[in-house]
Amino acid sequence: MNLKELYQEIILEHGKNPRNLGKTDDFNKDAKGNNPLCGDNVHVYLKLNGQKIVEDISFEGSGCAISMASASIMTDLIKGKNENEAKEIVEDFLGMIKENPELKSEYLQDDEKTKLMCLSGVKQYPMRVKCATLSWHTLVSALENKKEEVKTEN
Amino acid sequence: MKIENIKKEFPIFDEKIQNNDLVYLDSANSSQKPKVVADRINEFYTKQFSNVGRSVHYLAVAATNLYENTRSSVQKYINAKDKNEIVFTKGATEALNLVANILGQNYLKEGDEILITELEHHSNYVPWHFLRKSKNIKINFAEMNEDGEVTLEEIEKKITPKTKVVAITHLSNVTGAILPVKEITDLAHSKGILVVIDGCQGAPHLKLDMQYLDCDFYAISCHKMYGPTGLGVLYGKKKWLEELPPYQGGGGMIKEVKKDSISYGELPNKYEAGTMATAQVIAFDESIKFMESIGIENIMRHEADLVEYGQELLQKNNSVKLIGSPKNKGGVLSFTLEGIHPHDIATILDEDGIAIRAGHHCCQILHDKLNIPASARASVGIYNTKDDLDKLNDSINNCKKIFNLK
Repeated sequence: MNLKELYQEIILEHGKNPRNLGKTDDFNKDAKGNNPLCGDNVHVYLKLNGQKIVEDISFEGSGCAISMASASIMTDLIKGKNENEAKEIVEDFLGMIKENPELKSEYLQDDEKTKLMCLSGVKQYPMRVKCATLSWHTLVSALENKKEEVKTEN
Repeated sequence: MKIENIKKEFPIFDEKIQNNDLVYLDSANSSQKPKVVADRINEFYTKQFSNVGRSVHYLAVAATNLYENTRSSVQKYINAKDKNEIVFTKGATEALNLVANILGQNYLKEGDEILITELEHHSNYVPWHFLRKSKNIKINFAEMNEDGEVTLEEIEKKITPKTKVVAITHLSNVTGAILPVKEITDLAHSKGILVVIDGCQGAPHLKLDMQYLDCDFYAISCHKMYGPTGLGVLYGKKKWLEELPPYQGGGGMIKEVKKDSISYGELPNKYEAGTMATAQVIAFDESIKFMESIGIENIMRHEADLVEYGQELLQKNNSVKLIGSPKNKGGVLSFTLEGIHPHDIATILDEDGIAIRAGHHCCQILHDKLNIPASARASVGIYNTKDDLDKLNDSINNCKKIFNLK
């Protein structure tokens, strides 16, 4: 995938009209993330029910197209999953962005995998990987009730 | 040396960067190095190396002489009155930390005020912030106007009877505004206020004359002057460097060390504790010679032409919004593109072989004021040409195409 394809797919799909942008009513978990390199900010809100299923998820934030599109795609496909499924999907995504050639999680449908693979193009731009992973780290932080803001230093 | 041929002196431009010819527009961040500077580092390490100022053997004496030669060259280049007014540091950041530290130790008192500007790089703000914590010093900000300038009038307005130090940039690394540093210095001195100038962007691009300027301290970043990294220069008036206490303690900066007393060395050793960046200092002499061989007037003319050309080009480009339009502008073109984050711009430009900076350029106060998280910045050096700026503009158009902007 070249750069233009990376940007076009992301922008067409999510960059200009991010899904789940806003603040979930009655959220019961949330966390903030910050990527000092780009100045990307994201605040993820979750509403987990008694069975620990993500009933609703949303985000607020600002930043580059990659970070916003990534947050948008993430919230789209985490909705309806339970906590453990969500964590596995995050791990799968981070593994793919880092080194794995493909996504492995059985909790992801094929069309969901295709959507996520749009972001695999950032592998070629190591400085921008943080942009793609920010909202995902923030989601984990929210699930684990961490108080500190996520910083993408790694 | 003719400015048209200057690119040839920089070996990096013979390299293909990801299959592209390099268009380097990030000199405000750090400049590329001419061959003479890189060669000098190699030569020193392979043929002449020794530590300086310690041993009496041949190599040590020769290295010490070379090291001190650079000090003399810097003195002449910036027209300082005395060689001992030149202190080598590990960078301009350390130079500014040094000044804030020694003034904090033995000059400033609780309740005193320091005046900086909204244009300042974090390295001319954070070191003063430390004194807020440790000495209860107050920091005031002179405001940037709509053109991205800080005027003499604004400085005058913000000076209070408690102001003890004015610390300002010579040339903004975001808006490119060249501040009226001479007028500001005269004004401050008339009120008994010290003047510290962050010359990171000034020194590579403007004519320097410390005796005319008369500021108390001036910080220089050598890697922005076609020189090595890990090296800065602090110019300080002899009177202050003699009166004020040392910054760091260690070898080289002492006169006599006893169990119950320590006396400090004379200038400039007093401020150069430990083994210094010897090879970098020696190679920096080549940077100065290199700039002198072109002539600062020629450099200034060339870069002013480039900025004017680049400004016109980008002003004509729809959707490009230039940050700041100062009357007196250095070689910096910061901009935003509506609807495209600066980091997306920088990544797309990089694909075309164009190196720019995106981010807040260590100036968060300034970006907050403009209500933007970041900007894209193209900055020029002596090796740039109008062709580089044309390529920049073409690549910006490519960005717009990708993002479906008109």
